[in-house]
This record gives sequence, C-alpha cells and structure tokens, in this order.
Amino acid sequence: MKIITAILTLFLAVQLQAQEVPLTDTTPIVLEEEIYKEPSKESKAYSKYREAIVEPSYGLAKIKKMVKAIKTKDEEEDPKLSSKLFNSLSIKEKFTYCMIHPESYSQNCDAMPPVQDEHKKIFSYLPDAYYELSLSDRQMKFLKDNKDSVLTWIQAIATQKNRVGLNFKEAITAINSKSIIPFLVEFYKRTKKDHDILTTLLILMENAKFKPHMNSAMREKLFGESGSWPRFVQLNKANTDLILKRAMDFYNAKK
Amino acid sequence: MLKNKFYQAITLLAAVCCSHFFFTGFAIAQNGSKFVLVKKGTYSIGKKGHLLNPFRQYTTDSFYISTTEITNAQFAAFVEATSYRTDAEKHQNAMVFEPGLAEFRWLEDSTANWRFPNGVSRGGIEQKMNHPVTSISYRDALAYCKWAKLRLPKLEEWEIASRANATSDFTWGNRNDSLLQYGNVWHGVNHLKSDSSDGYMYTAPVASFQPNAWGLYDMYGNVFEFCAGKLPKYKNKKNIVHSRGGSWWCSARSCSFFNSVDIGRVSIYASFSNQGFRVVQLQNP
Repeated sequence: MKIITAILTLFLAVQLQAQEVPLTDTTPIVLEEEIYKEPSKESKAYSKYREAIVEPSYGLAKIKKMVKAIKTKDEEEDPKLSSKLFNSLSIKEKFTYCMIHPESYSQNCDAMPPVQDEHKKIFSYLPDAYYELSLSDRQMKFLKDNKDSVLTWIQAIATQKNRVGLNFKEAITAINSKSIIPFLVEFYKRTKKDHDILTTLLILMENAKFKPHMNSAMREKLFGESGSWPRFVQLNKANTDLILKRAMDFYNAKK
Repeated sequence: MLKNKFYQAITLLAAVCCSHFFFTGFAIAQNGSKFVLVKKGTYSIGKKGHLLNPFRQYTTDSFYISTTEITNAQFAAFVEATSYRTDAEKHQNAMVFEPGLAEFRWLEDSTANWRFPNGVSRGGIEQKMNHPVTSISYRDALAYCKWAKLRLPKLEEWEIASRANATSDFTWGNRNDSLLQYGNVWHGVNHLKSDSSDGYMYTAPVASFQPNAWGLYDMYGNVFEFCAGKLPKYKNKKNIVHSRGGSWWCSARSCSFFNSVDIGRVSIYASFSNQGFRVVQLQNP
C-alpha cells in the first residue's frame, strides 16, 4: 500500500514539476519547400574574387617554411611563431608573416552571411579574410607601428598585381591612416572591379567620424542605429561617385 | 530503517520511470540538466533566400535536448571528477571582451579560462556558478559530453528546438522586438560603451529570461552554443566548427545571430567568453 502511495505521490509531484514549463505539442509543422535559388554566376564569381588574399613576395619562401615548421610541431593548435622567431624577422618579413598567417581567432559571427547579388552591393564591412582566424594583438601593433612602410609596400604590391587583396584592405583599416586614400580612389577609378575598396574608404571615414560622412543618409543606412546586419547600399554610379568624392574631401580636410 | 531505504529506492525508480514513460515531455540526466523531448518527424528548417541555411525539410528521430546551457557548476563537477584542463588553460589564449573595443575585436588574455572567463582582472565565476560555462573550446565541450555520456545537438536539431514549431526567424515571428524578454544580448549601438540594459553585460544565469514554447531557455543570446555538423561551405576546413543562437555580445547592428536561422563558425581550438553549449541525450527516446 505504502509503495502504491509513494508512486502516486511521486506521479503527482513529477506532473506538477512538468507543469512549471509550458509544454506544447512538438508535432512538426511543415511548410512547402522552397525551390532553392543559386546565386547568379556573376554573384558567385565576385564573392570568390573579393575573398582572395595577396601574398607579399618579401621573404615569402622563408616565412612559409617557418609556418609549416610550427604547424608540424603542434598540430593541436593554430600555431604562432615564438617571440624569439618573430623578433628575428626583418620588417619586410614580418609584414609578409602578418599578411599570410593570422595568429588569433575570429568571432562566430565575424563572417558576413552570403547574400544574393553580391556584385551589385557596397557593404559596410569587409568579408572575413581568414575564416576562423584574425590578426593578433602583436600583428596589429606591428602594422600600426610601421604604418608608413606597410602602406608603401601595400601600394607597390597592389600596383604590381593589379589588386588590393582582402588581407591588404584589412591591414589598411587596422592601421586606420588616411594617407592611402588617394591611392585607393585612383585604383578604384582605374579598375572599377573591387567594390570593397569603397567599403574600405567608408570604414576609414567612419573610424575618423568625418562629419560629412557622419551626417549622410548613406552612413545611417550602413552604420547607423536603425539598420540591421548585413548592411549594404546598392552599387550604382551615384553612390560610387559620392563615396569617392567624400573620401577625397576627408583626405584633404585639415583634420 | 530498511523499509525506508526500500521506499526511497522505489520512489527513485518510479521518478525515472515517470519522467521517461508517463511524461514524455521531460527527463532529467545525471548531470542535473533537465531535458525536453522533441518528437520524431519532418520539420521545416532554414530560410528562403538564406545561402548558408536554405529553406528545406529535415527529418529527425526524436531526441531529448537540455532546457538550459551547461553551467559553470556542471562543468566544475566534470573538472573535479577528471582533472581535465581546457584548451585555454593549456595554451593561455582565450579571447575576452571589455567595453571600448571596435566591432568584432576581442582581446587575447593569457589569464582567461572558464574559471575567469574574461581574465583574472575582470573577475571569476565564484558568484556565477549558475551562469553558462564559457571560455571553453569545442574540444572542451566534446570532452564534457563524453564524460557526461551526452552529445552536442546537431545543427538541425538545435534549429528545430529553438523554433519550437515556429517557421520564422525567431520563435515568436520575424521581428527582433521581443528579444528583451527572451535573451541576454547587447542593446548598445556599438561596443565602445558597456551595455547592461537587460540586466547583464556579460553572461546571465541560465533561465533568467522567458523560455520558448517548448520550455527551452536562452536559445537566443547568453552564449553561442556549439553544435555538431558542418555547413557544406566549410566541409574541407577541418579546424572550423559551428555554433548558434548568438550571445550576450551580439547586437542588432553587428552580428545579430541571435535567431533560428544564422549559423556561426569558429576555430575548433578557440575559447571565447561568449561561447558555451547545451547538450542532447545519447539515446533516442
């Protein structure tokens, strides 16, 4: 009898406990399946184009060999060069190392979700250059501490290879110097292919809180409080001209 | 005395039986987590036009998923039992946050690990044992699961559970205006200044916000939750894993992954202070 009482008591107790959280029928609701629309050929090609990084040639073979060696040494972790090895590199070799081997981790949502018609949009953020990795604090410090040299090398390599790699654009926004703006504006006007150069210019103006940019409708759409992620404006002549002109105004402004 | 022991044993046995067979909605595992049963069936997942997670039907067996994220107390029990050392403890490379950083920028802090999720200088977990465990890697989450005889939810299982039979971006619809009730997220314009407008700047105790219709807490916000499975785009990237649901760091203007659609990706070795997990029982009911 006592056993039955105990079981019944427990039965009620568990039932009461179960009622603490609203239980809803979990029978699935199914909608009609969508016919999946692949992004256009142009969109996919542009997506691939904008993700490409450019390898600097300065000490490239040496740096690749060093990176390979540390990768083999510890397969458990995304490796870093030891301080001793890093400090033993020349400035140019350090630049190459930073551009091809990010040492730190990037956040879950750092990558912009892919969207349709990428080639027709100007985004507010650059794509993720290195997937799950990003520049470490010491790499950022190196780029900033040597910004004049780094920007000079970026311009030389971009001119030679006729493209500003995504890793270079990341470095430019990390360094956050407006001295490279005329080069970027001229490069874009000449090539008109890589619309992330416009994004780079926008980020530089945003970082500096350049007033004409801050007060613009485009800024509100790309960086303002009311928008949501992912954020972009349409690629057209009016928007392009506006960004290029405003960037040059920013460059020519006293501060 | 003996009789009392006998009654206690019977009572315990009956509890297990009741929770498994009479009340199919819930179960409680040895690690203390409470679980909700998700029934076998075909569910709509994904979103029309979403390139990483397109709208489609997904058929699953029934599974039990924990109602809350794994807490510091639960992880501490695992560490105590096994003397396990997390990746961040071994490599001193956890990624932490403090207000003032640019969007998507995190600091590497050699003092940070699950006991000090944002580094020693920002405090330990002594008063936060009911918060989700963070500053752990995917590998650490797998080690916990192995010890607890549980597993991570698959990407699709997590999505089904988060939606609780809705077919929208959020369990309540397509607008993010109910987040304040359901999740611990970042409400600031950017991350230059701290934001505690929902009561918490970093993590909140699990189940501090409203559960979804199936009784699952913190599916959006609090911590990104590791999931099993891989998106086709990353199938050849062995170091990339996924997590879902956004976190206390995520804001509408940056990231906004606190929904049932988006899928994050992170290094298998990385330990962020907005990264945690919930679990699923190994056996299908």
